[in-house]
Amino acid sequence: MADAPMEHPDAGKLTGMQHEKQYDFQLPESYFYKSEKGLNKRVIEKISYFKGEPQWMLDFRLRAFEVAEKKGPPKWGPDLSGLDFDDIYFYIRPNERQGTTNSWDEIPEEVRETYRRLGIPEAEQKVLAGVGAQYESEMVYHNLKEEWEKLGVVFLDTDTGLKEHPELFREHFATVVPPEDNYYAAVNSAVWSGGSFVYVPAGVDVDVPLQAYFLLNAENIGQFERTLIIVEEGAKAHYIEGCTAPTYNSDSFHSGVIEIIAKANSNVRYSTIQNWSHNVYNLVTQRAMVHDNASMGWLDGNLGSKVTMKYPSCYLVGNGAHGEVLSIAFAGDGQHQDAGAKVIHAAPNTTSSVVSKSISKGQGCSSYRGLVQIHEGATNAKSNVECDALLLDDTSRTNTYPYIEINEKSAHVGHEATVSKLNEEQIFYLMSRGLAEDEAMALIVRGFLEPVAKELPLEYAVELNRLIELEMEGSVG
Amino acid sequence: MATLTDAAALTEGALSALIRDRDEPAWLAEERRAAFRTFEATPWPSARDENWRYTDLGRFSVAGLELAEGPADRTVSERIGMRMTDSDAEGILVHKNGETIRSIVEVAEKGVVFTDLRSAVRDHEELVREHLYTVVDAKAGKYHALNAAFWQNGTFVYVPRGVEVELPLGAFTTADRGGLSAGRTLLVVGENAKVTFLDEYTSEPFDERLFHGAATELVLGQGAKVRYVSLQNWGRNVAHMNRVAAKLGRDARLESLSVSVGADAARAEVDSAMEGPGSESEMLGLYFADRGQHYNQYTLQHHASHHAFSDVLFKGALRDASTAVYSGVIVVDEGAQKTDAYQTNRNLLLDAESEAVSIPQLEIGANDVRCSHGSTTGPVPEDQRFYLMSRGMRAEVAEHLLVTGFLYEVTSRVTLPKVAEYVGRVVQAKLGVPGVKEKL
Repeated sequence: MADAPMEHPDAGKLTGMQHEKQYDFQLPESYFYKSEKGLNKRVIEKISYFKGEPQWMLDFRLRAFEVAEKKGPPKWGPDLSGLDFDDIYFYIRPNERQGTTNSWDEIPEEVRETYRRLGIPEAEQKVLAGVGAQYESEMVYHNLKEEWEKLGVVFLDTDTGLKEHPELFREHFATVVPPEDNYYAAVNSAVWSGGSFVYVPAGVDVDVPLQAYFLLNAENIGQFERTLIIVEEGAKAHYIEGCTAPTYNSDSFHSGVIEIIAKANSNVRYSTIQNWSHNVYNLVTQRAMVHDNASMGWLDGNLGSKVTMKYPSCYLVGNGAHGEVLSIAFAGDGQHQDAGAKVIHAAPNTTSSVVSKSISKGQGCSSYRGLVQIHEGATNAKSNVECDALLLDDTSRTNTYPYIEINEKSAHVGHEATVSKLNEEQIFYLMSRGLAEDEAMALIVRGFLEPVAKELPLEYAVELNRLIELEMEGSVG
Repeated sequence: MATLTDAAALTEGALSALIRDRDEPAWLAEERRAAFRTFEATPWPSARDENWRYTDLGRFSVAGLELAEGPADRTVSERIGMRMTDSDAEGILVHKNGETIRSIVEVAEKGVVFTDLRSAVRDHEELVREHLYTVVDAKAGKYHALNAAFWQNGTFVYVPRGVEVELPLGAFTTADRGGLSAGRTLLVVGENAKVTFLDEYTSEPFDERLFHGAATELVLGQGAKVRYVSLQNWGRNVAHMNRVAAKLGRDARLESLSVSVGADAARAEVDSAMEGPGSESEMLGLYFADRGQHYNQYTLQHHASHHAFSDVLFKGALRDASTAVYSGVIVVDEGAQKTDAYQTNRNLLLDAESEAVSIPQLEIGANDVRCSHGSTTGPVPEDQRFYLMSRGMRAEVAEHLLVTGFLYEVTSRVTLPKVAEYVGRVVQAKLGVPGVKEKL
């Protein structure tokens, strides 16, 4: 192979921008292969060649590329004009060996250091059933505790999943989010790399979370992870995704596709707290097919990134299926959080609930964009949506765009939204009890987020509160 | 879904003929020509347009329709005659297929102008010139450009500073033949003046298809108080399109009501711009669609200034495979602090084939505001029906009562008892309540 590791000319250039301390580091770039910039057929063929994929996957990628070319980027939503595909590396491979290891020791020192700083190996010991770690375009670490492996649980990186479970993979892959779904799903389908492949056999209750951590280290990179989660009948799983990237002058691009199949009577939760640096375009498609009496819950926290477009969806296709989306967005200066939820009621007796809490600060803008659709014949469907927005100062903005489409007489659908500012009386009260103004504000903001934060596992709720506090620092002007 | 195509009748030649026939002043002719250029440059709405994606566009097509050339019969129909008596209106205009066939324009209060728009262009040119096209212009969209270029006649109301017009003024727009008609209402209400205006659209059904496009401009000076009712009860052969837009000065108050019960398909746009601090706009909407009717409704509450208030309440019932879209947006500009803005849409689905779409939106750029919106869609509550039936009511009587009660939240807020009563009667007639006829 002609592509030897090489030092990128811009490697190591950090800006002085304010970024959260724990995450504010970047290690020298080192990689085995870096694609040319831009998206074209050659890049896609190369990705597939490197991965040693079956022909059907290459055909799928190329078809998806055609779909993307035909579709073009969406004409609605936030400003994406700063996102230049021709300036993005669509694939960066950190090491020569394809596939992951289950030992931190085998991971190159500098990559391991990154995860150590994030506290991932420590958390794995204590609170998680399994951990996956993706660095640039490839998963570098994947480990599942033995007790779960024995029960038949599969937790692999998606590339390995394709190799080791070809039939299971092909049966479910792209059935929930086909490339035709939207432009960014098509782009992801063409160049996807990494992500997690999770399979939970019937009746198995994985009562501690599985976690994957996504890290972007290089500049101008595009990360396109593809996660496929299959939870069999009566099984239970909780998957957590964390993301981070250092701050650069130029923008990076993260566009994952997450597909979840929740079979009858299963219970699946997917939690993300994304804290990308403020130069990442985060355009993600997350969707779950929810079958008879299954329950699907998305918890979606958007704190970082420059622009987020993310609308976790539940397709309630089985009788009695339940879908839930809890969404928090914090838009600081210059950030645009376009988050929301989609719930499609396509079967009788389905229920759903969406709670969205957003906070905008400085020049930030947060939007709720949602869809509730009740199909004809989905009798006795019930859906309730609540959106609350908090504006911290007179330059911050918030938008709400809920779409409600009802084609069934027996449906009960409600939507409510409110917009408010921080209550001065509450701040005054807290200050009279001895709190500084910014502490008082942070406390009120945490109270505002409480209904969502309490759904998080304790460690993450603590982390969320800490992040909010950091975002609120210096907000008293 | 059908796509819209050009109407052969809407040519530059047709516009020139219209201008020539009317002997209008040069400035108006130029406005019409400019609007026509905008019309030509604006594409027809398509299913990809946010405002039209839930609407079968074919129902709003103007292709093949000829511009209206007056009615077949110039007499005022019994239906309108009855409405004229019933509405308590002091001044009345009747427009039929683009012509004004009746003008009762004497108004007791001094200085008030109430006349058809063509006469106003002649007799009150400066006033018309100052305000026409300032609230709804050709740039608002394809249909608005069509109206701005080709409007045939309409109503002009001017209430000078400090004058309060006690009795309502009203315009009845009707038709007895098909084609394409376009009407305009211009209401200019001076400082601390007060007026009530009814815009009614009604017709007996006839065979040919009619497209009626309407544009209503309301200009409210400082402290002005206006009650405006748009009541659309066309025959089923009509497609209706109306934009009611208002500009509110400091401390002005507008109470508007938009009723959709007639036509085959109708789009109603209600737009209030709170340009002066402390202005208030209450925007009520009521619709009842049956036998496949389609209503597409849009509201805009634009808070350009601080300390203003707006409240939208749109409620509707649907049955017999009817469809309704409500889409509304509250826009609060940066600096429009102390805004109070509310928006509520509620739909009652009376059968499984009907479909309701609700898109209440917020775009908030100021932080010291109170804004909220709510939307609900559901059937007639089973427990309430059960209760009424347990008291001895037949199922359909219980349903009539519950639908009436559902819409009562809107009708009870209408401060014009005669209008509220008439709307209630139309709804009951549509419901098929025994013994109730729309005509009394």
